[in-house]
Amino acid sequence: MTRLRAEQRDAHRPSEILHTLKRLGFGAVVSVPDGWLGEMLVRIEQEPSMRLVRATHEEEALAIACGIRLGGVRTALLVQNAGVLSMGAGMVSLAQRYQFPLLMLVSYRGTPEDPVFYHVPKGRVTEPVFRGIGLSHTCADRHRPIGPQVEQAATFAEEASSPFALLLSREDVQW
Amino acid sequence: MVKASRPTRADYYKVLADSLPPQALVVTSLGNASYLWAALHHAPENFYFEDAMGLALPLALGLAVAQPKRPVIVVEGDGALLMHMGALVTVGAANPANLTVLLIQNGVHAASGGQALTNARLDLAQLARASGIAHAENIARPDALADKMRASTARDGAECLVLATEPDLDVVKPPIALDPVVTKHRFMTAIGAPRYVPILFGGGKLDQI
Repeated sequence: MTRLRAEQRDAHRPSEILHTLKRLGFGAVVSVPDGWLGEMLVRIEQEPSMRLVRATHEEEALAIACGIRLGGVRTALLVQNAGVLSMGAGMVSLAQRYQFPLLMLVSYRGTPEDPVFYHVPKGRVTEPVFRGIGLSHTCADRHRPIGPQVEQAATFAEEASSPFALLLSREDVQW
Repeated sequence: MVKASRPTRADYYKVLADSLPPQALVVTSLGNASYLWAALHHAPENFYFEDAMGLALPLALGLAVAQPKRPVIVVEGDGALLMHMGALVTVGAANPANLTVLLIQNGVHAASGGQALTNARLDLAQLARASGIAHAENIARPDALADKMRASTARDGAECLVLATEPDLDVVKPPIALDPVVTKHRFMTAIGAPRYVPILFGGGKLDQI
């Protein structure tokens, strides 16, 4: 693939995330949607090599993802940061305690770039809470292609045998 | 529905141990759900919960999705279900035919000492049906569970059997250490799940054992 074509593909970052998940052999995605993630989930549902499970609550989604990974299938969680705040007990007593490697792709709402009044309280505490519960994470760099960042996050989860959260901005995930 | 003179968890577990389908994978909720099952029928294909109340059912759903050719049986409690009732809806939506949900309805939070439930008199089978699990019914006797477990007819979706059970508040000592990571690795090895090969060894991906 030429460099130009690669750059064109990366220009649409949600497509690149989906392409990377497929290339890495992710067979399942478990999700509770938000306004940024909705169309991405529709695209995942159309992928014959991937199974999308729509959960009712993020802690439930976490457990479903653990079960799929227990069954030998590489699994990603696609949720909003508020959802990670509400999955704390399951995070420490299931995912971390049993050392499940899970890639968490998290829409990062309530940042200075997303100053929606009802998201701001969640954005303000997201990273301190992640640190508090020992959830390894990083923010996606908008100046670098997103595919390799997803791959690095997925690799970290597997090498560390733990969940890893990649915090994503609107242009990363909104189709 | 909870009624007087109910069988014990052990009564149902003995039936379950005698009627497990071939290749079955068993997920058990926290407390005696895991301790007693380990005492009666420890096997590598058992996944024991240590805590994480309410998450055995959704984990078993994920396992059933990942292992569609193997029967997956999950033992969950009524109190745990009430913590994550939405999981019933997700089971009903995904509806994997290889998933059997055994709901212990003892009317209390047994694992934490027998505190009263928010509502101990719910018709959980009706609730399961309303959540999209067509094959759901209340069971009051162990022999009825045996009949259901030995039924040879293939189902077209998940099954939920609500087992009216006497509370068991005395903690059973499991015969093995229920170390979570050991449990996970033993289980994944038993089912032949692919393992991750670290980058140092030329991997960076899942490889079949």
